[in-house]
Order: sequence, then C-alpha cells, then structure tokens
Amino acid sequence: MQEAELVTPGEVLGRAAELKAGKGAYVAPHNKTIYASLTGLRRIIPPPTDSADQRPTVEVTGHKAHGPVPEPGSVVIARITKVMARTASADIMCVGPKSVRENFTGIIRQQDVRATEIDKVDMHLSFHPGDMVRAVVLSLGDARAYYLSTAKNELGVVSAESSAGAAMVPISWTEMQCPLTGQIEQRKVAKVEVN
Amino acid sequence: MRQLRAQIGNVAKADGSSVFEMGNTKVIAAVYGPREVQNKSQQISDQALVRCEYSMANFSTGDRMRKLKGDRRSTEISLVIRQTMEACILTHLMPRSQIDIFVQVLQADGGTRSACINAATLALADAGIPMRDIVTSCSAGYLNSTPLLDLNYTEDSAGGPDVTLGILPKLDKVTLLQMDAKLPVDIFENVMQLAIEGCKAIANYIREVLLENTNQLEYRRGL
Repeated sequence: MQEAELVTPGEVLGRAAELKAGKGAYVAPHNKTIYASLTGLRRIIPPPTDSADQRPTVEVTGHKAHGPVPEPGSVVIARITKVMARTASADIMCVGPKSVRENFTGIIRQQDVRATEIDKVDMHLSFHPGDMVRAVVLSLGDARAYYLSTAKNELGVVSAESSAGAAMVPISWTEMQCPLTGQIEQRKVAKVEVN
Repeated sequence: MRQLRAQIGNVAKADGSSVFEMGNTKVIAAVYGPREVQNKSQQISDQALVRCEYSMANFSTGDRMRKLKGDRRSTEISLVIRQTMEACILTHLMPRSQIDIFVQVLQADGGTRSACINAATLALADAGIPMRDIVTSCSAGYLNSTPLLDLNYTEDSAGGPDVTLGILPKLDKVTLLQMDAKLPVDIFENVMQLAIEGCKAIANYIREVLLENTNQLEYRRGL
C-alpha cells in the first residue's frame, strides 16, 4: 500500500490511536498526534498479520542517505593497522557492499581469530599491518572500537602484500605465497568463494 | 514583510546547506551531522550535541569590519540560535553524535538573527535531520505608533523596540522571544501577533521551497 505524498517536518500524519510512528515520524505526547520529522514521501506500511498491534506504520523516507554503520552480525572489510600480542586493530572500510563515510575502528582479539585451538593463536602469524580482512562484527565493543571476529572459513585475510611488495597468493588455510620471491608467509586466510 | 528568497544545497561538502534572503539581508547556513563527537569529553550519552557558530563576513555591513569572530554579539547570537534549534531537533534519536550548524551573514540589513534561524532550519531539513517542526523567525517593531514587521537596518536604528520571535508554526509553540527597549504590554501583544503572522508566512514559503526541492530530486531520480 503506497500513498506517495510529500510532507515537511511538523506536518500532521495521523492520530496515534490509528497509526504507529515509524522512521521519520514521531508522536507528540501531549495530544497523541503523529507528526513528520523529515522532508520526504509519506508511506503507510500495513502491519504484520501475526502481531498483536494491528495499527499500520507510517514513515517518511528522506533523501539524504547517511553512510552505513556497522551493526552486530554484519560482515565488514577492514584494513589491519596494528598487530599486538593478544589483539589486532583494524580500520573498518566497508560494511556489506557499501563503503563507510566515517572512520570506525575494530579490534580482533586472540580468541576471535579462529574457531579451533583459540588459546594457541599467534597474532603475528595470523595478521600483518596493511592486510585486508573480511570479518564479522561481534558487538559494539567499548568506546574505542568494535569487536570483530574472523572465526569462520570464509573470514580472514582476503588480500595481503608481501615484504617484496607484491600481492600474495593464498595456498592453504594458513599460508600465502609471494609470486615474485616465492616466500611463504603465515596468515589466517579466508576461503573466498569463486563463482 | 520584505521579499523572501531561499535556495537549498549550495555547499556541496556539507550535509545540508541553504542561502536565505530577507530583502537585502543574505545569510548562508551549513549543517554538518550527525557525526562522531570530536571532543569526547563533551559527548552526551543519550542525546546529540548541537553546536552553532554565527559570524558576519567583513563585507556584510556598510563599512568593512575588522574580523571580530569571538566578540560578544556573535557569541550571544550563536547561543540563541543553538538553543532555538536544539529545542526542535529530536536529539534523543542520535545519541553520542554531534550536529554542527555554521551560519554566516553575507549581507546585513537588519533582521540578521531571524534570517539566520530561517536559514538554519532549511539547512537542517536539507540534511535530513529529524525535527519536531520547522522553526521560523521574524522581527517586528513599533515606530511612530505603528507596528512594523521585518525591520531593516534604518528602521532598526531609529530607536524603537525590536522584537525577535521564533516559533514552531504547526505546533504553535514559541521557542525564541527577545526584545530590546521597553513596550507597554498591550502594544507588545499587537506587535507579537504581527510577528507570529510574519513567521507563519515564512513557514509557508519554507515549506514550498522544501517541497519544490524534493520534487526536483524525485524527478531527477525518475520517480
């Protein structure tokens, strides 16, 4: 059900008794009316059939798309910035298919690098500064960084540069080889699906 | 009331921007946000932090001014604009983030405070920041026993009282009321009523500009 009507902030969208306020709308507590808070198209979304509250939701879709923000469970691409004894810091560059507009920092802890033998992980044999990793966001973490995890087959180092400066080729779960010098370097490699 | 002209989206780098003209007074506003708080000590855990900076360009008044950014008048007007906008932005939706509003006067001919608030409202709406209602502001005065709406510089410096009013038009609430000089209460009520009508007229104009802009965007997107 779509009624495309353009509204500006402050316009009345309906009564709180008949509608629920979605994104871009709010309920004024003193007179129980729903007002728009953004400029955009007003849409009414029918309620899910199994919910107790059968009011349709009204929302206003604006035009300014704010950049994506990492949420727990989302897959992100990050570049490793620092590798320490028990953690590695990374700069989150993309959330899903979209690149982020602000800088978000993530931390990969020793116990989150892989799924097996998690206390025997050597961070320096799993990551190097400058590596691009695919990781999943575990949680919002603390004030400084998100907590990331690479403990799955398809997560880990996707692309890395060898000490000679060439892009390395993955040869196993834990090794990547430089095509120029033949040197093998240890990383926690991601299994990239080839289709 | 003087002629109104407004444009949206002039500053490409800002999240939202607008240029607002009331007669000869011309003001440009740029809004950045919501973005991460730059000074962590000022972060508010359940609300957005609203910051506002007002400045006048050197060339805005008749005589070229020396650059006085931190002077008392600018600080006071920055504070006033910040409090007015903070009352209408739904800050609880954006905790731990910061919204910056920068307003600069390009041409000053009286009523700069009101023009700044109107420009800031348009810029915030352009940035897609959720608000309770648009804030509009207008000045009114009383000279030669006549209430006047939207004073220019000559009328303002004639020595009569100057009432600046900011309202949320659809919710019928007053967010800003300032007056210098003294007025008897009954005349004050007339002047305030005139200012309210002026604000509602500006609100209609601002809504038209926003709808026109959205229509343009929809048209370009092919909807």
